Amino acid sequence: MSRRPDTEPVIELRGVEKHYTMGEFTVKALQKVNLKIYPGDYISILGPSGGGKSTMLNILGCLDQPTIGEYFLSGTDVSHLSDDDLSKVRGKELGFIFQSYNLIQQLTVVENIEVPLYYQGVSEKESREIAIELATKVGLGKRLDHRPTELSGGQQQRVAIARALSCDPAVILADEATGNLDSKSGGDILQIFDELNAEGKTLIMITHDEAMADRTPRVIRLKDGEVAFDTYDEPN
Amino acid sequence: MKLLDIISGVSLFRLKRAVILGVKSLWMHKLRSMLTAMGIVFGVCSVIAMLAIGEGASYEAQQQIKDLGSQNVILESVKPTNNTTAGEQERSLILEYGLTYHDILQMQATVPGIEITVPSREVKDFLWNRTNSVDGVVLGTVSWYPTMKNRDVVRGRFFTKLEMASSAPVCVLTESLARQLFPLEEPIGLTVRMRTSYFRVIGVIEDDPAVAASAEGMESSSQSSGEGMEMMVPMSTLKDHFGDVLFKYRSGSFEAIKVELHEVTVRIEDPDQVKPAALAIQHILERNHKDVDYKMTVPLDLLQRAERTKQIFNIVLGSIAAISLLVGGIGIMNIMLATVTERTREIGIRRALGAKKKDIVTQFLIETVMLSGAGGLLGVALGIAIPVVITHFAGMKTVIEFWAPAMAFSISVMTGVLFGIYPAFRAADMNPVEALRHE
Repeated sequence: MSRRPDTEPVIELRGVEKHYTMGEFTVKALQKVNLKIYPGDYISILGPSGGGKSTMLNILGCLDQPTIGEYFLSGTDVSHLSDDDLSKVRGKELGFIFQSYNLIQQLTVVENIEVPLYYQGVSEKESREIAIELATKVGLGKRLDHRPTELSGGQQQRVAIARALSCDPAVILADEATGNLDSKSGGDILQIFDELNAEGKTLIMITHDEAMADRTPRVIRLKDGEVAFDTYDEPN
Repeated sequence: MKLLDIISGVSLFRLKRAVILGVKSLWMHKLRSMLTAMGIVFGVCSVIAMLAIGEGASYEAQQQIKDLGSQNVILESVKPTNNTTAGEQERSLILEYGLTYHDILQMQATVPGIEITVPSREVKDFLWNRTNSVDGVVLGTVSWYPTMKNRDVVRGRFFTKLEMASSAPVCVLTESLARQLFPLEEPIGLTVRMRTSYFRVIGVIEDDPAVAASAEGMESSSQSSGEGMEMMVPMSTLKDHFGDVLFKYRSGSFEAIKVELHEVTVRIEDPDQVKPAALAIQHILERNHKDVDYKMTVPLDLLQRAERTKQIFNIVLGSIAAISLLVGGIGIMNIMLATVTERTREIGIRRALGAKKKDIVTQFLIETVMLSGAGGLLGVALGIAIPVVITHFAGMKTVIEFWAPAMAFSISVMTGVLFGIYPAFRAADMNPVEALRHE
């Protein structure tokens, strides 16, 4: 079992709750979540459907804001930021990898990788260099000008990984990243994740695949909106 | 989030990228984009084309009126239709009507600021050059006729005051008459015969612009009717040769008509006094003539009426333009709303990757402006081409004012902005979480 590192956490959730109002009822999707994620962590967040995985992803990804509680990302409280500032944080500090790849269809491989850089205001020349380098890193150096429809699922997900890395984010969030792939392609993607973590990247994978629990050093299980299990909290 | 903040926050580099992206997105749905832009194309094109045709038509009308002279009042003798007096005159065998020298003298004596009067009298009959004849008109007039009527003497000269005083048998032909009567020779110095009188040709004057314009469409018919086939001689010469009473022989009967003056053109010195002077002239004529045997034309009135007509035309045109661009704009808005719904996922992805609301607004606004701008450009091209084609094939005059295409184009772009704002803001205001979940 892994041990809690002694460094400052990159993500810290303090008493975070998320409530949704549906007519007369209030659904508590997340309750009393206290969580610290450290640089270099490689985490699987597991849980049954309706356990709060998606809400967790939205909160961690700054796509949604907690109803109660505080969220510190790289030392900044992002739970009360304006929409514009939140967008900035998303682009700079976070990298997203989705189950259905979510590439922009009208753009080529290299242009897709450039999208986050564009919103960060990186110059055209520089962003092109970064994009080519990352595409080469994920093994798509010869497919720079292909469109997503011309690529296989595994290749598309690799473009998405390159895109998530483009702004050198503090944390990479992967939502069922291998869910749409066959076992061979899925294995390749996980291989890339392992390598990225070995390079020191912080990866959070949200999945319902129990096999993932064996792969990552840290596992967090959610149940009914609460953290039911965290490797770091277990006694060694 | 204000529109101004968005515009000011967009750097040139980002604008360039947004434009490239816009082109790619529009290119993905070529047919749809083209059809959407069509609304604007036809709106802009019809505005420019209609404006050019309308401007051309009113230009021609105004030119014709201006040729009559805006400071002139034109009086013409008209055969009266009043039955009772006609009956009385039938007994005297001579039908007497129209303007008289007495009218002119009275006008000159009582109406201030009258510059000159050009009286003229006409006799209609065949004009002969040896065996070649044309059904024409002999016009007895004064030596300052060309200046008053804005008609140039193209060859030779007009007759002088001296020739008027001496009743010289000289004549000036209109261009079309000269062409008909002397198809192969230079007419100056040759003679033209009417009835038993001979006249020496001293000059050729250009055709009456109004007659020339109307004759363009129907060349053959106008020549046979004798319209524009005028021969001008001094007033006194006409009186000497043909007398005061004109006889017309018809099958089985004859008619005698006495008309002192067929036409009188009065020029008013001060352009501002044209209307009051015209009123004064009308009063004199009403007193002198019991029957309405004259017709008064005030070109200034016609001009003002033509301008008023043009104003109304412009208002109608403006409304049509506004409606067509409104329709085009609604088309654009409709498609953009559909596009926003269709690209909800893309909007979510972009938001997740760091796009601010204003980035999304800019992106969609640029697309609508490009659609409407491209439509506007195409419309301008078509709108300029159509009048050119009309002028070339139908011979109609068209005038494209330089501001018309510029105005139509900028309005089309403004339509794009106006109708693009709502869809763009709708796209930007989407919840990123829901947008990402959108199938």
